[in-house]
Amino acid sequence: MKVELEKSHALAVPADIAWRVLQNIESVASCMPGATITERVDDANYKGTVTVRVGPATVSFKGDIEVKDIDANKRELRLVGKGSDTSGQSGASMDLLAWVQEGDAAHCQLVGRSEVTVTGKVANFGGRMMGTVSDQILKQFFDNFSALVAASAAQQGGVAAAEETVVRPAHELNALSLFWAIVKDFFRKLFSPNKAG
Amino acid sequence: MDTVADQTERLGKLEGMGCSRKRREDPRFIQGKGNYVDDIKMPGMLFGVMVRSPYAHARIKKIDTSKAKAHPGVYAVLTAEDLKPLKLHWMPTLAGDVQAVLADEKVSFQNQEVAFVVAEDRYVAADAAELVEVEYEPLPVVIDPFKALAPDAPVIRDDLQGKDTGSHGARKHHNHIFNWEVGDRDKTERVFADAEVTVKQDMLYPRVHPCPLETCGCVASFDKIRGDLTVYITSQAPHVVRTVVGLLSTIPESKIRIISPDIGGGFGNKVGVYPGYVAAIVASIVLGRPVKWIESRQENLTTTAFARDYHMTGELAADKDGRIKALRVKVIADHGAFDACADPTKYPAGLFHVCTGSYDIPNAFVSVDGVYTNKFPGGVAYRCSFRVTEAVYLVERMIDTLALKLGIDRAEIRKRNFIRKDQFPYATPLGLEYDSGDYAPALDKVLAAMDYQGLLAEQAKKRADPDSPTLMGIGICTFTEIVGAGPSKNCDILGIGMFDSCEIRVHPDGSAIARMGTITQGQGHQTTYAQIIATETGIPASMIHTEEGDTATAPYGLGTYGSRSTPVAGAAVANASRKIREKARQIAAHLLEVAPDDLEFDLDQFRVKGVPGKAKSMKEIAWAAYNNVPPGMEHGLEAVDYYDPPNFTFPFGAYMCVLDIDRHTGETQVRRFYALDDCGTRINPMIIEGQIHGGLTEGFAVAMGQQMPYDDEGNVMGSTLMDYFVPTSMETPKWETDFTVTPSPHHPIGAKGVAESPHVGSIPCFTSAVVDAFSHLGVTHMNMPHSSYRVWQQCQALGIAN
Repeated sequence: MKVELEKSHALAVPADIAWRVLQNIESVASCMPGATITERVDDANYKGTVTVRVGPATVSFKGDIEVKDIDANKRELRLVGKGSDTSGQSGASMDLLAWVQEGDAAHCQLVGRSEVTVTGKVANFGGRMMGTVSDQILKQFFDNFSALVAASAAQQGGVAAAEETVVRPAHELNALSLFWAIVKDFFRKLFSPNKAG
Repeated sequence: MDTVADQTERLGKLEGMGCSRKRREDPRFIQGKGNYVDDIKMPGMLFGVMVRSPYAHARIKKIDTSKAKAHPGVYAVLTAEDLKPLKLHWMPTLAGDVQAVLADEKVSFQNQEVAFVVAEDRYVAADAAELVEVEYEPLPVVIDPFKALAPDAPVIRDDLQGKDTGSHGARKHHNHIFNWEVGDRDKTERVFADAEVTVKQDMLYPRVHPCPLETCGCVASFDKIRGDLTVYITSQAPHVVRTVVGLLSTIPESKIRIISPDIGGGFGNKVGVYPGYVAAIVASIVLGRPVKWIESRQENLTTTAFARDYHMTGELAADKDGRIKALRVKVIADHGAFDACADPTKYPAGLFHVCTGSYDIPNAFVSVDGVYTNKFPGGVAYRCSFRVTEAVYLVERMIDTLALKLGIDRAEIRKRNFIRKDQFPYATPLGLEYDSGDYAPALDKVLAAMDYQGLLAEQAKKRADPDSPTLMGIGICTFTEIVGAGPSKNCDILGIGMFDSCEIRVHPDGSAIARMGTITQGQGHQTTYAQIIATETGIPASMIHTEEGDTATAPYGLGTYGSRSTPVAGAAVANASRKIREKARQIAAHLLEVAPDDLEFDLDQFRVKGVPGKAKSMKEIAWAAYNNVPPGMEHGLEAVDYYDPPNFTFPFGAYMCVLDIDRHTGETQVRRFYALDDCGTRINPMIIEGQIHGGLTEGFAVAMGQQMPYDDEGNVMGSTLMDYFVPTSMETPKWETDFTVTPSPHHPIGAKGVAESPHVGSIPCFTSAVVDAFSHLGVTHMNMPHSSYRVWQQCQALGIAN
């Protein structure tokens, strides 16, 4: 089961600040709902976990993240993650390309393009919801990331300090809010005049 | 005195062939008193759960079982490494291939068996299974059998590398299993080259699953002191299982007892031997305790025995009047990761060569290539004889296609090509000999019952109306099935001829016990076999106890699948009954002091010809068999018969379906479905009716909704009943049934078998109707399933939906 996602999000900070935050893998990971970096192997390799909860099912993925490429000129970052859930019933991998697009002096755009592949129970049971769930996870990610970037810009004290001022996202995706977001999305699409998506 | 009333009363008491005797099985089932494998509880019994692969194709780098083993309540965790010393990490399949019992260094399909956790109860075992840590290195996945044959396709079976011959001949490619050809290729080519008209159609018979109500499972119990093994198992072929277990374990068959208790539906899903069975048996041998293994629904749907997955190309050559001159078929058969079909050894594509159907086609050539892909193994006959559903679908689709091309009515083109009654026994160009048939009257009866001309007129009117919200489709199918495998000169499984057997013992009080090598899974054997014996011996059916499925008591038989119970075991039942009747005649002659030839058999007694009132009833004869037999005769009244059928039997039928499709939503309503079946001599009309309803309903399921799709990563996307369509009474159409009777000339009672024909015949009938609804818009074929969504897509493509 493969899902390809491309999302972009406007940030009210200059491109340089956003790029600085983006390069800090631990911080970026902390913006991902349910994700944690558990170990920094070296500059390019990390170990981490992602816990996603949908209804009564909780899937906890454990895996490796590798920073494949950081291109400061293009302000572009490529991450590859691979893991399996702790009960051995599902596998997942992600190939993410993220870059910061320059806007005016005070604004920029964060763009992410990723390909997520899942195998096993998650695909068997949740395949149909993958797109929607990924959408919601990314929405929360962008919200968290915006907050982090904004705080970072305000403090001028580096990412670490900024992180302390923003509310740390929950380490598990809130099932109820996720569910409502999906339902809302569903109805919005159903009644939107162009029936897109 | 011998009055008509007296005769009628005796006939009624006998409950023999032809009467709608109520099913003996039902009282226990409807009261919840059935005895299924999962009902078996043994002292000290443990439970096994499989650890399965989330990947469709991956190398196993490491398996760490330490945490699972340390979990409280866990007795053992088996992996391939543990089975290797016993040489049980691989097992032979019924198709001459081998299959990994527990994955040996790599997995080749999603949910493949990797480790087996045995614990004190099922919950503990399931918890511990999650603690088994397996490190996988994913490999490229190949799902499409055409891509699997590309030169650079991933190697699915590392164990077969370098082997360019399989058990069915040469392998052309590392993912190729076999090529099977039948018919005269050159002559067929020539006829095609000179043909006035040819048609060609690609079609996919999608991968489906029989999905019986009860999943597969077993309870294995090895007695370390006595050295014997008892296995309660969901098997359609318990004796074959005993032979396989004997071969695998080297325990003599005399020390193995396989018991198939009540079975909650098989439909081909319970013919094979699965890794779970072997793992439970090994665990029981190792631990010396009974071990139960029962599949979950998801395990059942994704690991044990799929059906179909045939990519077929059919071609017909004909003259302008629609008379068929030749048929050419090419099949790419997707067998999944291991070739685990359960076909007779000689026929790697089963009885697919019945694909000339009910038609007098002088020339034909068929070529089938079996291919490995990263999908679960199987290829079983889902409520049909081996690959017959595929064959019938192909020829019925082709004749519809030809009719459309030539503008000939679909009923008419069938009549022009039917094998005539006087041509039977009929030799087909693909090497089969049809026993009997009378096709045209069957179709005529259906056309009249449905007012076919009226339907055509109504359809024409609807087609002419651009505002009609619905499209009307009429489907026709005139099929011939081939069942009753089979003659041992052609058919064997693991080298054992496909005979079947019956043993009858008549007790002193005139009651009897009968045992067969088959096993009922819903067919009502207990009821119908007793009816055959009643008619043949004169012992009332209610006095006959029938028993199957226990290898310790039943004579060896090849089991129940491919509608073989009535054609093969049913014949053994009749023959064993006749042996008893002949001995009874000798005893009666002795008792009446006449010559045996002076006696005639009359329902339940032997009477002296021409001497009213001078007779001995079977009850009296049975008693005499134990105390007053003719000089030189052995005591007792029993018989055994092993029946090797001289030929297959060929049931047939004519079906018609009318349906209405909402062109805006694709929703399809079956308005009428009329099924006329000819299964030869009818043993129990009520059971036949029930079997036909079941077969039609499963046909409806396959045609209208069932499929087991895969995504490109090898994830099974139909793995739960949320995704896999099983019709309930809500969706199922109302069935109308009818019959004609054309007995089989070579079967002792002329019966042909019935339970699968309606499945085989109804599926192409539904497709015929759905395609017909669109045929005036240029559509010649639509692949199944005809779900609302897919039909709606067709409407969209044609621009008729809004």
